[in-house]
Amino acid sequence: MFLHNFKYRIKCIVKDKQMMFWTLLFPIILATLFNLAFSNISSAEKFTKIKIGIVKDSDYNNNKDFVEFLESASNHKKDDHENKLFDIKYGSRLEAERLLEDGKVEGYIYFENGTKLVVKKSGIYQTIIKSVIDDYTQSISTIGTISKYSNGADKNILRESISNRVDYMKEVSTSRSAPNTTVNYFYTLIAMTCFYGGFLGLKEVTSIQANQSTQGARINVAPTHKLKMFFGSMLAATVIQIIDIILLLIYLMFILKVDFGNQVLFVLLTCIIGSITGVSFGTFIASIVKKGEGIKVGILIGFSMTMSFLSGLMYDKMKYIVNENAPILSYLNPVNLITDAFYSLYYYSDHKQYFIDISVLCLFPVVFSIITYFVLRRQRYANI
Amino acid sequence: MQIFKAYFKVIYKNLTQMLIYVGVFFALTLTLANTYENPAKTGFVGTKVNIAIINQDQDSILMSGLKDYLSKNANIVNIQDDTQKLQDALFFREIEYIVRLPKGFTEGLINNKEIKLEKTNVPDSTNAIYVDSLVNKYLNTVTTYINNMNGASHEQIVKYVKSDLDQTTEVKLKNTSNDISKNERCEFYFNFLAYSLFTILILGVGVVMMVFNNEDLKKRNFCSPKRLNNISFQLIFGNVSFAIIAWFIMVVASFIMFGSVMFSLRGVMFLVNSFVFAITALSISFLISNLIKSKNAMSAVSNVFSLGTGFISGVFVPQALLGKTVLTFASFTPTYWYVKSNNLITKMDNINMDNMAPVFANMLIMIGFAIAVLAVSLVYIKQKRMSK
Repeated sequence: MFLHNFKYRIKCIVKDKQMMFWTLLFPIILATLFNLAFSNISSAEKFTKIKIGIVKDSDYNNNKDFVEFLESASNHKKDDHENKLFDIKYGSRLEAERLLEDGKVEGYIYFENGTKLVVKKSGIYQTIIKSVIDDYTQSISTIGTISKYSNGADKNILRESISNRVDYMKEVSTSRSAPNTTVNYFYTLIAMTCFYGGFLGLKEVTSIQANQSTQGARINVAPTHKLKMFFGSMLAATVIQIIDIILLLIYLMFILKVDFGNQVLFVLLTCIIGSITGVSFGTFIASIVKKGEGIKVGILIGFSMTMSFLSGLMYDKMKYIVNENAPILSYLNPVNLITDAFYSLYYYSDHKQYFIDISVLCLFPVVFSIITYFVLRRQRYANI
Repeated sequence: MQIFKAYFKVIYKNLTQMLIYVGVFFALTLTLANTYENPAKTGFVGTKVNIAIINQDQDSILMSGLKDYLSKNANIVNIQDDTQKLQDALFFREIEYIVRLPKGFTEGLINNKEIKLEKTNVPDSTNAIYVDSLVNKYLNTVTTYINNMNGASHEQIVKYVKSDLDQTTEVKLKNTSNDISKNERCEFYFNFLAYSLFTILILGVGVVMMVFNNEDLKKRNFCSPKRLNNISFQLIFGNVSFAIIAWFIMVVASFIMFGSVMFSLRGVMFLVNSFVFAITALSISFLISNLIKSKNAMSAVSNVFSLGTGFISGVFVPQALLGKTVLTFASFTPTYWYVKSNNLITKMDNINMDNMAPVFANMLIMIGFAIAVLAVSLVYIKQKRMSK
């Protein structure tokens, strides 16, 4: 009997096209869109050669030293001559002006009582151009100061020692992977999909409650044990939800190539617990809200979208803002816990945070299920 | 005008779902308008990168000099020295660069021993390269003094270095009369409008057309004494008025949020552009409403369509950051041309017929879309009627 119910509930769910769209197809479409939109986004941060213009006029010839400095010192990595800081265009003042106007250069340099920089807006590229020009005048100042205070210092030797720069920086990474912001969107998407499993839970409760659906009424007069029935329904919903999530995960991992930090088993564990939480959240909402199905669905969407928003589905930094300003809220939000579990696997070098997230997350389905059980049990209807 | 009235009765009955999209749109754009910075700055302002400094070395004079120098050229954010907290801050770009001064660094610097600072940053980022150059500049200047000026005290060296590094170049900010930051916010408003307005139009037109396309209702309407032409005319009139009302409600807030932009020629261009888009979106919504049969499918299609076109056309992520293939694909949707025009309108320094030409060309493309899609839906409707 149990197997019979289980089988038919599975059929009912899979044949519900609308349900399958929202729980399976929609997340896959959204993931594809995320991938299309975000695949290039880190290029905004990545350094590209700064295009600058230099005005070539009579004053230019008096500043050959500076131009040489600009051309040579513009390697930002000493051993790599390809990595020039600037891409320099030369021309008359008018040409430079036009290049700037058309956005072909970030700024141009001209010489008139010193070096002058003209830019169109304040930004990091303009700041770098300025800092390199500053560097030159600052070095001259250093040479001046040293020759002034220590007698007999040879200017050429000084110049030599200034141009022999030491790189004092050593890159150290404390995390497992690069801080790639876009992965968080995909993690939140999985967490959201887990909670879309709530639709399945909701559907199962609706179809078992006599006052919600005719099917529920029919089941209620059957002599089958209700808990057994309900258990079969829930198992069907959970199984379908887990399959949905795993399909999404396969799509993300192998087709979109989203980085999960090579810990497949932990990722799977998160997905399974997340799915159970999502489905039980749906049953919880369905049982405590005593209104029609439309309102239940509305509440479910409202909650899952708000929780997803707070975990960074629409704006990745939201997760950080909540975590910094209201850490309790980030532990009370199961969507965030799922997201954070993925994030910890991807980014942290140890599993401490992951296990905290998973342990707290496990409490949610337990609480949801207990409440659902106490609301649903022994429901009797004098009339419907 | 019974049919026209009935049109808006149906809209009214289904208003909640549409109002949610209006609400989200206003909430988002209002938050944006409120985070608006004071545009009072007239000169060039250097960009300051957010960094964290963790000192595990002693508090030496040389190192506090470094800290002073960095605090002038970057924002030093105070974050406690906790690996997880620092990692989080870096991941979400609260800071972009972490410098760690290891034990014995000052000693090493003085004695020319090679001890390096440890940095953690977003790999290859422009900001990191800038901070690298700042730190290296300071430390190299200090060692130049140590090596070439025997007997100078550390206080003296820091003083000299400070006066050297205070040398700065004059930067001229080309005066453009337009306030770029405000224009960009206005641009975001109108770009985002593409998503919200599109969804609302698909939902609204869809729900009404579904009612009027209902088999029984249609039969009943056909045997009424109204002529078919009249019925169609009232429906079209209803659709167009609905689109105009929706468009009007959505753009009206822009006058409050970005008054100075909206009451200029630039604002007029934004309005005209969005109006043309609204008409194109209406035409597409009309086609969709004829193809789709159930209300549930409607909300699925409206979501996928408006989100989909939005994502690939640069509504949520700027077009400049999208891949070439994506943009080629997007150019088959009107949203792409709409957003493209918005970008152009934002960037223009002065608006005249010459530089407006591409914007008008984009509008023509959108109108082309509208006509083509309308033709397809008319053919489809006619065929469906004939086949019965």
